[in-house]
Amino acid sequence: MEHVYKIDSQLQLVDAIKANNSVALKKLYTTNYHKIEALVLKNNGSQEHAKDVYQEAFIIVWKNVKNDRFIPENDSALQGYLYQIARNKWMDILRSSKFKKTNFINNEMSILDKNIDHCDEEDNDLITQKMEQTMAAFKSMGNPCKELLTTFYFEKKSLREIAEELQIEENTARNKKYRCMEKLREMVLASKS
Amino acid sequence: METIERFYNGSMPTEERKVIEARLQQDAKFKTRVEDVKILLFGIEEQALKERLDEFHKELPIKKETKKSDSKVRHFNFRNIAAAIVIVMVSATFWLINNPSNERLYDSYFKPDPGLPTTMSSSDNFAFFDAMVNYKQGDYEKAINKWQILQKKAPDNDTINYFLGVAHLANKSENKAIPFLKEVTNSNHKAFKDDAHYYLGLAYLKEKNFKEAKKNLGMSSIHEAKTVLSKIKD
Repeated sequence: MEHVYKIDSQLQLVDAIKANNSVALKKLYTTNYHKIEALVLKNNGSQEHAKDVYQEAFIIVWKNVKNDRFIPENDSALQGYLYQIARNKWMDILRSSKFKKTNFINNEMSILDKNIDHCDEEDNDLITQKMEQTMAAFKSMGNPCKELLTTFYFEKKSLREIAEELQIEENTARNKKYRCMEKLREMVLASKS
Repeated sequence: METIERFYNGSMPTEERKVIEARLQQDAKFKTRVEDVKILLFGIEEQALKERLDEFHKELPIKKETKKSDSKVRHFNFRNIAAAIVIVMVSATFWLINNPSNERLYDSYFKPDPGLPTTMSSSDNFAFFDAMVNYKQGDYEKAINKWQILQKKAPDNDTINYFLGVAHLANKSENKAIPFLKEVTNSNHKAFKDDAHYYLGLAYLKEKNFKEAKKNLGMSSIHEAKTVLSKIKD
């Protein structure tokens, strides 16, 4: 019986991840971090390393769940998958020659950045590049737009809910969202040239 | 633009979807536009998640913090640390004398009930299973609120009472959990009785009512109940 419950809850977790449910995401994040931290600290890494590797792995898991590339088959599949990816990532970094040379210099961060794309080999370069531009543009966006787009596209709240929160008309919210999207697009286009 | 968004978030009726899919096949220009919007949407989501992760990270339960501080800081804070150690030791001794590990017993044995499987076919009881989804995601408050409404309609339903009790317990409000679990143990239905006795026993243990805790754990035939019972110290 117990077993059935657990597989069931994995499927629920998958649904929750797809919906960006922040309670579920946070729980998945916080309950699995220390295992990775222990692994990295034991293998020549710092807490900074652990955090970076773990966050990258977490995003890959999230992406693959969203694209249905990962479907859980046993009761701790997702957690195991997360651990596996983070572990492989850390092993890659350890193996890379750059890490050996620059071990104690402060630019370790840049090495991590170069390793990010490793798991996305299927995606072709152009899409990855566009994606990076979009993310960079969104990151540097002004706060009101950023918040509005986050609540709409990430938290999946409806325009009506957003309008209520901001105490504006639904149509005003729609216009605002539209303008923010246009702005983001312009920023992406500008970064291309 | 909004059309393409609707195409991706699944709110589009099938017919309209087919039209777009057909157009995607033929019109290469349209296809790249659609792809661009898709990347835009994914980019926003991913960046938003990335920023969330840093927030999550700050809320991590802190482990082995003291080990990491370097020697300078340690020297500077020596007095504070010494004071802290004394306080910790004093309170630990105090705690050990006063609290004969029963609190720890609760913490190591309490594990929220896994809940019932929520399957598609149970749509006749949608409200109940809707709350079950919240429960399983750890959103106990929401689940409690939803079940409370159902409980008013069917105050004798042992399933609702049981899960209300367990949800309150998982939400760390033992005093609210007890009346619901009691109700289940007193009812005629057998399905949840064993589990209810076990959780009721744990709730009393947490409340330090050891007499009732022992009584209820003794009435449950669950394996863990016997283990906990044998470990309670008065």
